[in-house]
Amino acid sequence: MIDARIKLLGTFLLIVLAVSTFDPMKVGVIFVSSLILAAFSRIGIKKVLKRIWLFTLFSFIIVLPLTLSFRVEDLLYVLLFTLRVATSLIAIQVLILSTPFNDIVYAMRGLKFPKGFVSTLWLAYRYIILMFTELMRVMLARESRRMTKGSHMDLWRKGGESLGLFFIRTFERAERVQLAMRARGEKVVAIKGSFTRLDKIYILFMAAVTLWWMAI
Amino acid sequence: MHIPDGFLDLSIAAIFYLMTMSVVGFSLLKMSKQKFNGALIGIVAAAIFAVQMLNWPIPGGTSAHFVGGALAGILLGPYAGCLAMTLVLVIQGLVFADGGLTALGANIWNMAVVNVFVGYYIYRALERTNKSVAAFAAGWLGITMAAIFTGMEVGLSSSFKYSLTTAVTVMGTWHGILGIIEGIITTSVVTYIASMRPDLLEGRAETAPGKMAYAAITVMIVLSPLFAYTAELVGYSEPLENVAEMLGAEEHPIYEGLLPDYTVPGLDPYIGTIISAVTGVAIVMGIGYGMRRYA
Repeated sequence: MIDARIKLLGTFLLIVLAVSTFDPMKVGVIFVSSLILAAFSRIGIKKVLKRIWLFTLFSFIIVLPLTLSFRVEDLLYVLLFTLRVATSLIAIQVLILSTPFNDIVYAMRGLKFPKGFVSTLWLAYRYIILMFTELMRVMLARESRRMTKGSHMDLWRKGGESLGLFFIRTFERAERVQLAMRARGEKVVAIKGSFTRLDKIYILFMAAVTLWWMAI
Repeated sequence: MHIPDGFLDLSIAAIFYLMTMSVVGFSLLKMSKQKFNGALIGIVAAAIFAVQMLNWPIPGGTSAHFVGGALAGILLGPYAGCLAMTLVLVIQGLVFADGGLTALGANIWNMAVVNVFVGYYIYRALERTNKSVAAFAAGWLGITMAAIFTGMEVGLSSSFKYSLTTAVTVMGTWHGILGIIEGIITTSVVTYIASMRPDLLEGRAETAPGKMAYAAITVMIVLSPLFAYTAELVGYSEPLENVAEMLGAEEHPIYEGLLPDYTVPGLDPYIGTIISAVTGVAIVMGIGYGMRRYA
């Protein structure tokens, strides 16, 4: 496993390099580098492409009307714009698919993000599934008691009430959790320590990509 | 409304990162000075995340989802609400790749700063008149303003070839319409909570500005003639006026105003400027006092 701190910074660097230029060669270098990372991280290029194709297509459609001018530069712009978006998406997917979120949170703490921010971020992430289940329970309970089909208006009114109830439960749960946290204490661990050989290879790869990007 | 990587110029992204870091940093500072309830912020953030997953049916076979910025502001107050929405956006960006890493600053600015603060202050300004109307206006205008900011950010970026006018019009118009749904959902939730647990909506008024804030304002007012004098020494003039002079453009005001060009007609320009400054400060402080007292 590569140190999450380096991966976070490396991903940011790749995206910055990809979106700061419209030079086809430079964007191409970052695109290929991101695919190499996907391949070497054992995620697989196919899996990454499966995850990014929809938004890449969406970005392509947004700028597609510009090709109606039938000018070569506009066509090139549309292709490069889409490639930049695709490259950024690949870079972030490689990070997400190869790094558990708790490692990202610990890396943030290691990178000196404020403690209060990191601990609440970690807490919010841990409670997402639970809160979603709670919301589903509220909706299901309401639905199971409903005797008529109901109009759109009815659905909206009942939905609003359900959400209100859900937020009241959220507040009550938050109070219980806060008290439990005070009783037990909580600490977000920061990633510290020296880099492994794999980390150093990753750093060298990033440095080589950056130099290549600058040299083109 | 989440801007992905590649849509913004790096300079625009950097500016919004700085602005967002200032506001989120200030919110963290405010929260750490008060009794910081991290569990409340984190769990409400998780709840907003869950609620965003629900799709609300719209007649005609389509649906829309809730964003919840204004609601976060109303339930938690502007600073904690801003933090809760920031957490939602960071998780969306780093777990679901919804919104770009370089655009994260701009995304947080739109949905966690503009949406929350606009929503909160509109609600506070109108809640005494009618809570439902206040919640609706907060939800609707909060999201519409956030969308207008999104349009401005992408429209000002040279990476995105559509003009500023097009981007702002498209984003503003669509979200102005979709924002009605946001307004209705915000109203439903707020009115339900107000009827069942009114205590959750009360007592979230901000604390009065501290002595430091008043001292800083007084120092700035006292020092302002010095700044005017030094600006005169270095020959400062408005950049827009310089551009107008270069282009040979002339000013044709439709209405001169009561204090034209910060002067009082018939008086010495320096005295006129000081009188204008005092009047301006008095008006702003009067509005501020009025908002604190009655809003």
